[in-house]
Amino acid sequence: MNATLGYAFVLGGLAFAVFGAVVGFVGGLRHSQTGYTWVLRSVIGFFVCMLMANAVMVFALVTHDFSVSYVAQVGSRATPLLFTVVSLWSALEGSILFWGLILGCYLLAFGLAHRKEPPVAMQLAVGTMLAVGVFFAFLIAGPANPFHAVSPVPLDGPGPNPLLQNHLLMVIHPPMLYLGYVGMTVPFGVAVAALIRGELSPTFMAPLRKWTLIAWAFLSVGIILGAWWAYAVLGWGGYWAWDPVENASFLPWLTATAFVHSTMVQERKGMLKVWTVALALASFILTLLGTFMTRSGVFNSVHSFTQSDIGPTFLVFIGILLVFSIALLSSRAHLLAPERPLDAPVSRETAILVNNLMLVAITFTVLLGTLFPLISEALRDKRISVGEPYFNRMSVPGFLVVLFLMGVGPALPWGRPTAATIKKQLMLPALIGVGVVVVTLLLGFRGGYAVASFGLAGFALTVTLRELLLPAKVRMTEHGERPWTAVVRSAQRARRRFGGYLVHLAVIMIAVAVSASSSYVTKTTVTLKDGESSKFGRYELTMRGFTEGQEPHRSYLAAKLDVKTPDGEVRQALPRMNFYERSTDPIGTPWVRETAREDLYISLMAFSQAENTASFNVWVFPLVSWIWWSIPLILLGSAIAAWPTRKKATATVSAAASPPVSPQASRGAA
Amino acid sequence: MIAGLLLSLLLSQTQHAPQFAGSQPLEPALEARAQALGKQLRCAVCQGLSISDSPASMARAQLDTVRALVTEGKTDQEIKDYFVARYGDWALLAPPAHGFNWVVWLGPLAMVLIGVAFIALMFKKGSPTAPVAETAPAPPADDTDDPYLKAVRAELKR
Amino acid sequence: MKRMWVTIAAAGLVGVLLLVLAKSFGTNPRAVPFMMAGQPAPAFVVKNLQNGQRVSMEDFKGRPLVINFWASWCGPCKTEHPYLEWGARQFGDQVQFIGVIFEDTEENAQRYLSQHGTSFPQMLDPLSRMAVDYGCSGVPETYFVDANGIIVDKHLGPIDPQALTAQVRNLLARGNPQAANTGGAK
Repeated sequence: MNATLGYAFVLGGLAFAVFGAVVGFVGGLRHSQTGYTWVLRSVIGFFVCMLMANAVMVFALVTHDFSVSYVAQVGSRATPLLFTVVSLWSALEGSILFWGLILGCYLLAFGLAHRKEPPVAMQLAVGTMLAVGVFFAFLIAGPANPFHAVSPVPLDGPGPNPLLQNHLLMVIHPPMLYLGYVGMTVPFGVAVAALIRGELSPTFMAPLRKWTLIAWAFLSVGIILGAWWAYAVLGWGGYWAWDPVENASFLPWLTATAFVHSTMVQERKGMLKVWTVALALASFILTLLGTFMTRSGVFNSVHSFTQSDIGPTFLVFIGILLVFSIALLSSRAHLLAPERPLDAPVSRETAILVNNLMLVAITFTVLLGTLFPLISEALRDKRISVGEPYFNRMSVPGFLVVLFLMGVGPALPWGRPTAATIKKQLMLPALIGVGVVVVTLLLGFRGGYAVASFGLAGFALTVTLRELLLPAKVRMTEHGERPWTAVVRSAQRARRRFGGYLVHLAVIMIAVAVSASSSYVTKTTVTLKDGESSKFGRYELTMRGFTEGQEPHRSYLAAKLDVKTPDGEVRQALPRMNFYERSTDPIGTPWVRETAREDLYISLMAFSQAENTASFNVWVFPLVSWIWWSIPLILLGSAIAAWPTRKKATATVSAAASPPVSPQASRGAA
Repeated sequence: MIAGLLLSLLLSQTQHAPQFAGSQPLEPALEARAQALGKQLRCAVCQGLSISDSPASMARAQLDTVRALVTEGKTDQEIKDYFVARYGDWALLAPPAHGFNWVVWLGPLAMVLIGVAFIALMFKKGSPTAPVAETAPAPPADDTDDPYLKAVRAELKR
Repeated sequence: MKRMWVTIAAAGLVGVLLLVLAKSFGTNPRAVPFMMAGQPAPAFVVKNLQNGQRVSMEDFKGRPLVINFWASWCGPCKTEHPYLEWGARQFGDQVQFIGVIFEDTEENAQRYLSQHGTSFPQMLDPLSRMAVDYGCSGVPETYFVDANGIIVDKHLGPIDPQALTAQVRNLLARGNPQAANTGGAK
């Protein structure tokens, strides 16, 4: 019953997507005005079908209807309700179904937000997005159908993958990541429409920027939450392993970040048009490549929970998209041509250009490194590995350059600044950067990259704070506004700028946290008998035996440790191992004491109840939690930047700064 | 049955032995060397994690072997060769720089160089004879050459 | 003209990318290369779990070996255990079966064996040195060493009677004097 109903909705979604895509393309190419209403109606139809198909699946999961193949695959009566609902995206078929729902949401949001805009332009964009919808609806209806009817109906199922029901972060990390991945469909649709029309007018550029930023924000949060999940669940004492699937989510993030910056040059100087559009296309294709990497079983990865034969379907789609994108770019490039030369080697546009180069070079490095084992095996039949040492060595210098440019770019004006301006703008931040380096060295910290990153972070932080707060200061000193009012008003007057710099602050936070936690981490392995103590750094650990327990879907064994923290407080640590019925090997849950200064991270490695001993891996990670706590700042900054602007407000500021300096000389968002 | 076997095989990919086994760290200097070497070697059952990082029992066995070899006075190269002799170049997380592997090391550098050349060309195209005059009126305050602040002021005056 | 070359280069790269990805289907990403086939089996010194005696490679000189690495915490090891028992009874007079316990405690191994029984010697491998020396990539794994001490092959994962029989036959074929001569001539 559920199987039939759900499948019917999937087919309905497929029909709406096909209809809408055809009407959108035909209407868009024929410059017809009338089709747009029908395109929007199919968007609503697609959304409703996807929503209902997902609702049917969740209903089937919750009611343990094991006659639905997906429920039989991931459901289990023992799984708690929350994880039962979440198992919607714990395996391949369900996650593609969920993807369809998110795509429906994005399409609906885009359709509603742009329903009043010129139909000829928008129906091409929505038509393209619906064409992507056709692919996913086809996947759900065919190769990845979760609604197969199972007979005979099993009495119970195995439950979702243990690793995926271990932590609450698994509830929010995948949706965030999907929101980021799927969100790239919208800029792709707009970019394709712009290319087909051969123009990059504000009609296209404004939505392109805004929707990329939205997807970018979700993707950023998704990636950070994924790192947090790995840290809190996998127990190996790390948050980023340059795993193919981590890389896969990082690739579109890098190109989307490059896009967010190059679009400013495009907007202000009319340069880099083809490049900017290419980045939007690349971000979308990379999200699909990422999904392919996770789901095809071609890659060796902790994330390959599910393997299947949807791989070939995906590969064909990626191939079509790549060929289509290259053909489109190459045939339309001349229409977007007017590339102006750069004015001066030291200017904001040069900084952004070099930033784009570095981000794309890192993208290329990560892509090449991830694919290289496959390339080596396909071309030479030789199995090799490309892992963390390679990625660190190749990408860290690039990241340092980006961090440096994060200080240089915002400090410099557009166009052709005088030597005096350059000196005045950069002198103080550079001095502070050098000061930070000297202080860290005096404090006894060593390690070239880490110290350099602190110095560069100091440099970039000074510039960012100055750019963020100077307008408010001007308001306060020259207009007598109160501090809070001044900050809020200056933010309101230039949202993209203000939001952008907030995100820069978050990125600086992450940069410092990553380099501190990876360079100054300390690790030890201890084996303790009951009652025995061991000192590690500023902590003292005392073994206090074991405790066992039973939860609906698993049993666990935890070692009890008394942890004496530096402030004299004694806390009980319970690093544990969870035993699932479905898994022969236990899965650990580390115990973490988080402070702003450092995390104490204890992982139970092995134990012997007969001898009352246990072995632990213990780490101290300086500053690591700053990585996750950057999330609110990223969300706030992105929300401020992407919030629908009343067009007048920004126009005044931009227009007021008109000529002599440069056509539109306001220092917009960064 | 076959499905069950496959499933258990799949799940045994990350083998965490719950039982207590060996693994005492060496004295600090040698341990640091063992850990650094372990970072460069790929654990045989895991999926791209190093033997220093992985919690799998195979990684523990391999790290113990590194410790033993370090204690025996083997050089870093000899220890890496030991693993390559058993698991091939696959055991090295950074592909050795020889032959075809140069592609993965030099490709990104080539990309950066091409990009730099491209940006340099963008300057050349622009004729240096047409400098855009930067009109900087006499500065009443020390930050007036900042066009953004100028705009802010202009708006406030209204 | 310039644009055309850029397009052609991009199309070429895309072609290579798709080709490589397409070729990767069907390969097992988890397969670990095994370089020890055809190499002399590394010498080992282990402790017999049953009687506590020190056992080394020398003790089995001239006999073909079937070396099985296992652990009590490993699920698939339980599946293959009866087949190994059967193999040891069937071929025990021609080849020497040895079990090597991987990353496990003595008492757990003892308990496991008292439950499942054993008819061939079981060894404790302190710190798993022997397993790594042999190039193990997880348990269970079964190695086949010929009478000249050359590793012929290894079986990944739980073994079944067919594979075991085929491997042992292969060992015995190599074990006859002629094969030993050609093998030893290298």
